[in-house]
Amino acid sequence: MAYFLLDLLALGCINAIMVVGLNLQYGYAGVLNFTYYTFVALGAYVAAVTTMGAPPTNFGVEHYALQWALPWPVGLLLAGTAAAVAGLLMLLLTIRRLRSDYLAIVTVSVGFIVWNFITNYIPLFDGSNGIFGIPYILNGAGVDEPTYTAEILAIAAMILAGCLWVSWRIFRSPFGRVLRAVREDEIVAESFGKDTRAAKIWVFVIGSFMAGVAGGLLAFYLTAWSPAAFLPEESFILFAALVIGGSGNYWGALVGAFVIIELLSEISRYLPSFGHASVIGAGRAILIGVVLILILQFRPEGMLPERRLRWYRARALPTGPAQGAPPAGTGALTAAPLDPSMGAGGMPATGEYRSAGARDRLRAIFRRDLG
Amino acid sequence: MTAAVVALAAAGLTLLVSVTNFINFAYGDFMTFGAYAAFAANAAGLNFFLAVVVGGIATAALGVLANLAVFRPLVRRRARVLTLLIAAIGLSFIVQNVIVVVWGTGAQRYSVDLGRASRFGPFVLTPGDAALIVTAFLLLVLLHLMLQYTTFGRSLRATSNNSDLAQACGIDTSRVITSTWIIGGFLSAVAGVGLALETNTLRPTVGFNELFVVFGAIILGGIGRVYGAMVGALIVGVLTEVSGMYLDPAYKGSFAFAVVILLLLLRPQGLFAALGKSD
Repeated sequence: MAYFLLDLLALGCINAIMVVGLNLQYGYAGVLNFTYYTFVALGAYVAAVTTMGAPPTNFGVEHYALQWALPWPVGLLLAGTAAAVAGLLMLLLTIRRLRSDYLAIVTVSVGFIVWNFITNYIPLFDGSNGIFGIPYILNGAGVDEPTYTAEILAIAAMILAGCLWVSWRIFRSPFGRVLRAVREDEIVAESFGKDTRAAKIWVFVIGSFMAGVAGGLLAFYLTAWSPAAFLPEESFILFAALVIGGSGNYWGALVGAFVIIELLSEISRYLPSFGHASVIGAGRAILIGVVLILILQFRPEGMLPERRLRWYRARALPTGPAQGAPPAGTGALTAAPLDPSMGAGGMPATGEYRSAGARDRLRAIFRRDLG
Repeated sequence: MTAAVVALAAAGLTLLVSVTNFINFAYGDFMTFGAYAAFAANAAGLNFFLAVVVGGIATAALGVLANLAVFRPLVRRRARVLTLLIAAIGLSFIVQNVIVVVWGTGAQRYSVDLGRASRFGPFVLTPGDAALIVTAFLLLVLLHLMLQYTTFGRSLRATSNNSDLAQACGIDTSRVITSTWIIGGFLSAVAGVGLALETNTLRPTVGFNELFVVFGAIILGGIGRVYGAMVGALIVGVLTEVSGMYLDPAYKGSFAFAVVILLLLLRPQGLFAALGKSD
């Protein structure tokens, strides 16, 4: 029982690192990356091939690139860096040209192509067999499983704490404000002279780095990694966790990761078993879809909504022109194009949609800059 | 053959996108659902063509249900487009896995004889293929006539061009949207049956796998433009068939995805932007 709990906690911490990273991308900057788990997988592979050295002989023939034997912290760093560089490349190629929903299509496509390539190109990461026999980090093969789980839990918890700290710093920095503005209305944020693309790219890269580190930890913990471990639906489970927990709030990401992912993976044991074997997985996927749609309908802000920073409330400025004279500087806001019907018909592929509520939310975000 | 199937699916999807203003990730699973519904009707003893019609009606109903239960409330709240995308993927999960639960993951076959294949130059055609191509062609002509010459077609085009303005002109846009889901659902079902016939196997992922080919077609044609999508489908359909001969079969699956990325990066407005309606 104690081991079971330990295992849940360790996996929970690793999942939480992923969801906190995803929160940076989607919750903070509004970049919809449907292939987040591909970056996790990349991290897992890189961590494996940079720390394992030559292939272990007791599992049959394995082929993979690099075969470095670096210490594991360096491997984790390299895993994060590889994922970050991949994220940077993907975003540099696409962000200049694409509206965010088209970007989402591109991420799905990239994810599939990478999966297809890794599965079929054996010299890189051993194709569909995947990499196995990754040695235990810290103390070699002699240690028993519960001890190893506890060690991984300790490392993961420390890294998770670091990720939360970074999220907190970003959230309350001017950079965080720019990000939220970009998410609500990119054109208006840009008209304030903010470099919106740089902001998006930076936060995306940090999120990808977290994905890579989490992937590396997962590979060390599971001691194996293969294409079957990063099917497209994995990214979607992380999204479900984030949206249900509360996107934009790193505590929400944390809660979502522990509650939703653990619940979903444990609940499938209690689903009635009938018919064929695939019913359990299918039932789990249906459950995710239903819960997600219900949350989007009835509590779109998630269990823990995004916080307003305290000084927004302290400065009780009017929220709209109807309530009195607008504070100096809002002229730029009202002059910006805020037509909610924009983009109907032929749908330009660049530029963003905007909603009626976006203006007020933007005001709240930029109030300090305006005052 | 592929082109005919893709053209049907692309016409339906691009109509939906133009009217609802978001890209429906669940559309591939609508195709699968239609194919399975037709399969069930056929297995229950119905004539094959009637079964396809039943599949179409069932999928149209599914579309209307999806709109009422999932998308309309979100649009009413003016939710962000990204939220709609996530909801669509959630729906895709639900539909695909309900199919798995009901029919299993194994491959099914229609009990219909496609007839003997004969060669026309480089193409191999069975009478069943020919029937499918003719059906697709007839449906697309019907769609064209409806869009151009009926009041409903005009209100649909008006809604897709500018829904607020259309509403101001007295068009019941929510009825138009519902009707578009019906049309889109029906077309997707016929396309789904075509997909299953093409490979003679029906699996729960058949539609989702083809979704990105359809995306390629509608992007090539300019998103939201029905005629563009038809031409785009022709090009993408022929391209996928030709690429199949030259590409390593292991990487064949990536082709459509690569096409989608390249198109979005190089020519997101589609090939025929200048000829289409004004934005």
